Amino acid sequence: MKALTANRLLDGEVVFWNAGDWKTRFGEAQLFEGEEAAQAAVAEANQPTVIVEPYLIDVAAEEGGFAPVAFRERIRALGPQNHPQHGKQAEGGHDIEVIQHAHGVARSAGRHNLIKLKK
Amino acid sequence: MYRYDAIDKAFVADRTAEFAGQVARRLSGEITEDQFKPLRLMNGLYLQLHAYMLRVAVPYGTLSPVQLRQLASIARTYDKGYGHFTTRQNIQFHWIKLADTPAILNELAEVEMHALQTSGNCIRNITSDPRAGATAEEVDDPRVWSEVIRQWSAIHPEFSFLPRKFKIAVTAAPKDRTAAKLHDIGLILRRARDGSLGFEVIAGGGMGRTPYVGPTIRQHLPVGSLLSYLEAILRVYNRHGRRDNIYKARIKILVAQLGAEEFARQVEAEWEQIDQPSVDLPDTELARVRGFFDTPAFVSLPPKSEAFEAAKAADPALARFARNNVHPHKQPGYAIVDISLKAPGETPGDATAEQMDVVADLGERYSLGEIRVTHEQNLVLPHVRLDDVAAVFAALKAAGLATANINLVSDIIACPGLDYCALANARAIPIAQDIALKFAEPEKAELIGELKIKISGCINACGHHHVGHIGILGVDKKGEEFYQLTLGGSAAEDAEVGKILGPGLPANKVADAVDQLVDVYLRERKDGERFLDTYRRTGLTPFKEAVYAEAH
Repeated sequence: MKALTANRLLDGEVVFWNAGDWKTRFGEAQLFEGEEAAQAAVAEANQPTVIVEPYLIDVAAEEGGFAPVAFRERIRALGPQNHPQHGKQAEGGHDIEVIQHAHGVARSAGRHNLIKLKK
Repeated sequence: MYRYDAIDKAFVADRTAEFAGQVARRLSGEITEDQFKPLRLMNGLYLQLHAYMLRVAVPYGTLSPVQLRQLASIARTYDKGYGHFTTRQNIQFHWIKLADTPAILNELAEVEMHALQTSGNCIRNITSDPRAGATAEEVDDPRVWSEVIRQWSAIHPEFSFLPRKFKIAVTAAPKDRTAAKLHDIGLILRRARDGSLGFEVIAGGGMGRTPYVGPTIRQHLPVGSLLSYLEAILRVYNRHGRRDNIYKARIKILVAQLGAEEFARQVEAEWEQIDQPSVDLPDTELARVRGFFDTPAFVSLPPKSEAFEAAKAADPALARFARNNVHPHKQPGYAIVDISLKAPGETPGDATAEQMDVVADLGERYSLGEIRVTHEQNLVLPHVRLDDVAAVFAALKAAGLATANINLVSDIIACPGLDYCALANARAIPIAQDIALKFAEPEKAELIGELKIKISGCINACGHHHVGHIGILGVDKKGEEFYQLTLGGSAAEDAEVGKILGPGLPANKVADAVDQLVDVYLRERKDGERFLDTYRRTGLTPFKEAVYAEAH
């Protein structure tokens, strides 16, 4: 399963695509079963004055819901671990708790074509 | 401190206005992200995991109270009430909105600050000794030369598009607090036998994926020739540094491939070609810059403060603070006071807006208006009267800033890591927190003595792991966070790159492994040996046996 994510241009906020709209909570992300539907969303979501660098992430079923597979993407969906009062995790809620309790980590599958080099 | 003249002011104002225009054009869609990205990076603005990050230059680590208060105000108004001091003496804000950036840059310009030279393939903000102008060790004030290099390098037309970023450190003391040998160029001021001042010039040091301790390419460069010689080095690098492979683009690769001798020969040949008088600073201009760093208004005091001695005798916590955070000053009756941003359990290098205000007030009231930032992510009050140390300590304590752990096991350098950084493979901050909490007991930390732990969340090495006495590198191993430990690194005058201890450890084993390494040290150490000295004598074996015997 995949979801489409990006950062909002204006403030850098992490956002998730859902049927024509960008949502700020992972729990509101549209989940794509097949590659075709995911790619169609990528094409539709190309809104360069709204978001920056959209990309697909892997999502897996977890107890009580869904969570990004990659640890990196979980941190994006939650916020930094050193400041639990910062980021989306501060709002709490079921979708946040599912990610916080998710098992298994596979960061390298998180973001495709990511060049990890400082610029 | 250096104060902007009309040219500096106009230049920063122009750049700020220019960037405001660029932001407006990006938001309106007139320019694309691909076009905008290099422009925002030239203004210190990165896009990270949760928001934009703005890295503000703190020139060679010097701040005035007015500037620090403005940083606090920016933290409060535009961020979540805190800032993060970096391993290059800068400060970065992690929750910045693109739309707010022009206003922030305006507010920085009001206090003679900016975010230029904190990103991009240019000459970056200069690193210098945080004890400059205060320590008796130095042969000259390295801030004078740092400021000269700052003025020369700011939007230098020839060196704004180098093969890769370029970092320079300047120190004037034999005890190196700048990691000079790990910079693209390290400059160490020394006095020759004939009394003349010169720079030992080190080139091609660096960390990242290919760490090198830089070789010396010139033993004694007369100070007056600094700029023309730097220009010669930069020219050779600009001409021959690799642009085809980003992993091999830093000057360290060029120096290593040519060999230090051949590189030095090419630099000298280039230097001969340069019209040196047209590049080097005229004495009058040097005198003008030097004037900004005149000795501050010290008063005559006895070398020993009875009040301070009595206060220490009455308060063991103050005595501990004095042992670890208070250092000798060149002026009798004064001290250099380090402020640790490493309270166990907190984020290394973070300061809240309230804490910044407290330090600004202390700087104003007790440190002749000066505050410094160290590359080890701490702050310094460079000119405190011994008579005032107890009052400073009390104020710091009330603000949660009196941790007495400078250079101890809990004074850990850590990059922001995967909690913030788009480049990271693994978290660094939570690892630092685990370790610091394990050694939170001050008696234990003091018993262990100097031990520098440095943690990076990826191979780019912002956390300086290569040169930690214990270095910790977060790696992504088949999709999981693992941490590779190195031992025996040093960023000081005895610079060395650490050696890998063994296979990587999972996150929850790292603090235990550090504990085991410390146990080996305490068992093996001989009189007066630091952790690093014991390691150098015994080698890896006893340490390796302890950690991996347990790990299996």
